[in-house]
Amino acid sequence: MQDNEPRRPGELAFNIALFLVSLFLLYSAYSISGFEALSAPGAVPMATTAVMVITAGLTLRQTLRKPALTAEKLSRDIIPMPVIVTIAAVVLYALLLSPLGFLPTSVLFLFGLIWYLSARGPVFSIVVSLVTVAMIYLIFRLIFTVLMPPGIVPEGEMIAWLRGLFSAGN
Amino acid sequence: MDILANLLIPLLDLKLLSLIAVGTLAGIYVGAIPGLSVTMAVSILISFTFSWDVYPALALMIGIYMGGVYGGSRTAILLNIPGAPSAIATAMDGYPLAKKGMAGEAIGIVTVVSFFGGFIGILALALFAPLLADFAIRFQPRDYMMLAVLGILLVGSLSGGNLVKGIFAGALGIGIGAVGMDPLTFTERFTFGTSALQAGVSFVAVMIGMFGISEGLQQLHTINTPGVKQKIGRIVPSWSLVKKHIPLGMQTSTIGAVIGALPGTGGDIAALMAYDHATRVTKNPEVPFGQGAIEGLVAPETANNAAVGGAFIPMLTLGIPGDAVTAIMIGALFIHGLNPGPMLMVEQPDMFWFIVSSLTLANIFMLIFGLTGIKTFVKIVELPRSVLLPVILLLSIVGAYAVNNSVTDVYWMLGFGVFGYFMKCYGYPLGPVILGVILSRLLDDNWRRAIISDQESLWMLLKGTLASPLSLVLFATVLLIFVSKTPIWGMIFRKKA
Repeated sequence: MQDNEPRRPGELAFNIALFLVSLFLLYSAYSISGFEALSAPGAVPMATTAVMVITAGLTLRQTLRKPALTAEKLSRDIIPMPVIVTIAAVVLYALLLSPLGFLPTSVLFLFGLIWYLSARGPVFSIVVSLVTVAMIYLIFRLIFTVLMPPGIVPEGEMIAWLRGLFSAGN
Repeated sequence: MDILANLLIPLLDLKLLSLIAVGTLAGIYVGAIPGLSVTMAVSILISFTFSWDVYPALALMIGIYMGGVYGGSRTAILLNIPGAPSAIATAMDGYPLAKKGMAGEAIGIVTVVSFFGGFIGILALALFAPLLADFAIRFQPRDYMMLAVLGILLVGSLSGGNLVKGIFAGALGIGIGAVGMDPLTFTERFTFGTSALQAGVSFVAVMIGMFGISEGLQQLHTINTPGVKQKIGRIVPSWSLVKKHIPLGMQTSTIGAVIGALPGTGGDIAALMAYDHATRVTKNPEVPFGQGAIEGLVAPETANNAAVGGAFIPMLTLGIPGDAVTAIMIGALFIHGLNPGPMLMVEQPDMFWFIVSSLTLANIFMLIFGLTGIKTFVKIVELPRSVLLPVILLLSIVGAYAVNNSVTDVYWMLGFGVFGYFMKCYGYPLGPVILGVILSRLLDDNWRRAIISDQESLWMLLKGTLASPLSLVLFATVLLIFVSKTPIWGMIFRKKA
């Protein structure tokens, strides 16, 4: 079980963080009901967080024993720019979803990411985004009736118009 | 004669037949798309089919269920993202095969063995329902608890060597599952005084984050390398290949049907147990497990589809759901005025045989759609990764949002996605986290029931475990798996050698 691969950049910090968080969670589990009874609501949380502390501690010890020399770099191999940009894009999406609404936010999200990630031009990105969002909207909103925030888009009127179109055809 | 007449109901009614077909096809896609789950689809369908008759409603749901369990394997093989928890084990050997350009063969064999497993499960449902229900009724809370531990340990032991990291991940999952108000005492657990955490963390958000977002972020590393062109060659597997794996398939289908029949355990645990079984009984696989072994596909896929038939056994005979989907189906039966339980089979045998027959038809449709639609399906995967990844991310966001119509769930999904990404970077398996979250409630409830019935005494609990053959077997299995993966095992055997 002992792996002798070199320690990856950030691995030590991650394992220290896991160990500390596990300790905090153990404390938090203890404060649920202490050692009141084996059937108390805090019993299983305490047991599981204790297991987390032990296993995180063992992993930390293993990590400390690994050679620190590696050709890898944190900014290139663990969190390169595309990863940061993508995470930021998802955060932005969540922030804009309620005020802007599902349709504009999704088109913006797809357009921005596809344009950034692919070597293709903006026209390609906007066409792909529009078509994909239209398809997702049809499937989720109309077939699965999942309600997405309408935001600035007059969605109710749009759907009423679509329904009118279909019923007029009948 | 009555049985035959009831069995023929869906076959002779074109509407029912087409509903099963549509359901199965939709199920394959729902199961395959990460973020869309069969549980979600079936629960939404309840509101759709509220005003329908019970037969068409059940026909559609059964189709979705059967197709969905199988569909999860598609993206597991093509993208290494299991579309459903029951396909976690399938990705372990399916994706390596796809990387070797054998995605078509992998999907072909998976389709055939899923059909095989599904059929064995249905057979078990039809023949052994009363017997297996008798067996399951004897399960004590301590047995359920050990079964949950067994499930998590199994995923941990499958994580490619580092059991310590696997156990950490499993414990973390149980912890995440415990967040919120304790349902028995209404005590707050891990809520840190915030009301947002009182209802707990959405399991779907955790799952989409861990499997959708973290995989998406991971794939950004290779965004500039040419897209994975999954070559689809031969799809229908040769008879000799199928024949070779029938003995293993029989064993793992049996595991699937039995595990599926246990209340609370579904295709996900069945698949993992079957995979573990395959690694133990296959002495010399042509390709090592984890690198594209056919046995690694046969075992989980026969088991998870066999678990579908199995899951209906406790549902129809005891009124206890075999897994999340059958739990929702019990709700649907209630809505339609039926009362699943021991009396259902006596009072309404037509319903039982209708379900058996619909499952059989869904299984046949699964085989047909599975072997014919692959090339169209793969077109989605052949899109350039710079287009596919943002779309997967968007679907993940919509999926996480749609569960509770909540932006908070999107943040949870992203949080778990980023965390899962770092876990992956540093060699932690993600499967045990999900298993932990799913089984947390089962483990906690049954631990408390067991220890209360043993008067809060660990000694009494141990005595009870050793006195019951069933508990003893489960206890010994848990111990064996744990010890066999620790250095102690190696030390014993080295000494003997």
